[in-house]
Amino acid sequence: MPGQFDLGTTEVTEFGVGIDAVDGPRYVQVPVDDEVQAVLRQMVAATRSAMKEAGDASRYQPSEKHAAHENLNLPLDDALASTVRAIHEAQNLPNEPKALKEPKNVFCYFARLSAGKGNHLTALRRASSFKGILESQLLSFLDDSLRIVNDEVFRLDEDFDFLIDAAGVHILRPAGFESIGQLRDEIMKAAPTNIKAIQADIAFVDFGSIETYALKHPRAARYLASIRLQQTKNVAKTSLKKHCTNMKLDVKEVKGKLVVAPEAIMDFLAVLDRRLYQVELVKDSPESFFATGRSKVVKP
Amino acid sequence: MDATPKTEGLRLARLMMVLSGLSPLFVLWAIRGSKILSDRYLWLLCAVMVIVPNLFLWLRILIVKKKQLNNEVVVGKAEDHRDHLLVYLFATLLPFYSIDTASWRDLAALMTAVVFVVFLFWYLNLHYLNILFAIRGYRVFTIAPPQAENPFSGRTSLVLITPRVYLAEGERIIAYRLSNTLFFEAKPCQASSTLELQK
Repeated sequence: MPGQFDLGTTEVTEFGVGIDAVDGPRYVQVPVDDEVQAVLRQMVAATRSAMKEAGDASRYQPSEKHAAHENLNLPLDDALASTVRAIHEAQNLPNEPKALKEPKNVFCYFARLSAGKGNHLTALRRASSFKGILESQLLSFLDDSLRIVNDEVFRLDEDFDFLIDAAGVHILRPAGFESIGQLRDEIMKAAPTNIKAIQADIAFVDFGSIETYALKHPRAARYLASIRLQQTKNVAKTSLKKHCTNMKLDVKEVKGKLVVAPEAIMDFLAVLDRRLYQVELVKDSPESFFATGRSKVVKP
Repeated sequence: MDATPKTEGLRLARLMMVLSGLSPLFVLWAIRGSKILSDRYLWLLCAVMVIVPNLFLWLRILIVKKKQLNNEVVVGKAEDHRDHLLVYLFATLLPFYSIDTASWRDLAALMTAVVFVVFLFWYLNLHYLNILFAIRGYRVFTIAPPQAENPFSGRTSLVLITPRVYLAEGERIIAYRLSNTLFFEAKPCQASSTLELQK
């Protein structure tokens, strides 16, 4: 697996913005001088530090309820990373120094650090505070009195939402990654493929009604994307059926296949995603729980 | 939503680069002289037209180097455009040089024609046509964008002024940005140069 981008090898630091255009998002470069370039490199280093502080790295799962700051990663070849991979691999981005003349169209900004021979890192951040400052009145000192700053001022943040390099996507703010990476669209697009892959492993479940439901419901599509990351091979039919009965889900067996009632689809997907479970600490009083966030406990 | 057409930008810089490319013409006029303008005024005019644009170009290169205004350019299909210098020579230098300015009307017509040529060079982004680059050993390549399905990659051809004699497809070059589509790759520093010592 390729290693993380080494900041010390940076030869070129480029800056750019994402623009909401009529025919979809566009990414353009805006020239910045060496001082801004140094700040952008510091922001990348700060992002890495913030990710370390957020805890051990774990894989991004679309169905998980994430905290504001996390240390998540996603392989570059994952279907969910297709938009951010395209941004990372885009070549000869057009130079548009006047792109910031219409700040309301700017939805993100990015830095691209290159070390030559195709080895580069892309760092992205949503442009909320970057352009938000334009709407405020700024004051500065002129001699010993304050005056209004009439120039357009942009504010760089302390760090980026996520970084992309040859080692994958490294996510500090999942909300920023999902917004820029158009995750909602990607997850909906990937739903049929995910269904097929899961169906191949769990052939005894009728996924017809689930597929129809998931194509209209983003949350269900998110579950499917997450289930693909779980162990779906060798799921025992009897265990699954028993678990569904315990959780009081309307799942019937018809001609050897488990058919899920429409109102039970979300709960059934939550079972497959290891989110709906039962604990029986008091004898004959099982308690059911739903986990919005969970991590697998691995004991040596 | 952004729907504004994109312009090349750096209008003044591109104009100065076009005028810099026409420097040899002003040198020839200064040598040839004029029947209606005294040498003193003609030389002053020609000196201004040679020095100001070239000073501007030199300053532009100095600024982009100092501020590290560089980009990584990925080569798609590259074409060597040395032949454009011949077109430039025959289209501008020789015809203008041969016009005799015996009257003020001849001079006015000549200057108007030069303005048209300058405008066309500026409008068509031919500001890279500069014999000075060739004299310094640089070549001019037009670089088509790499063939890729990526929806965000640039679709515009770029011009690269470089000391290299050959550009391979897929090659990545770090070059200074002179304008939105014109890039300049400086010659590597000699070991004894000041720039090298500063590293």
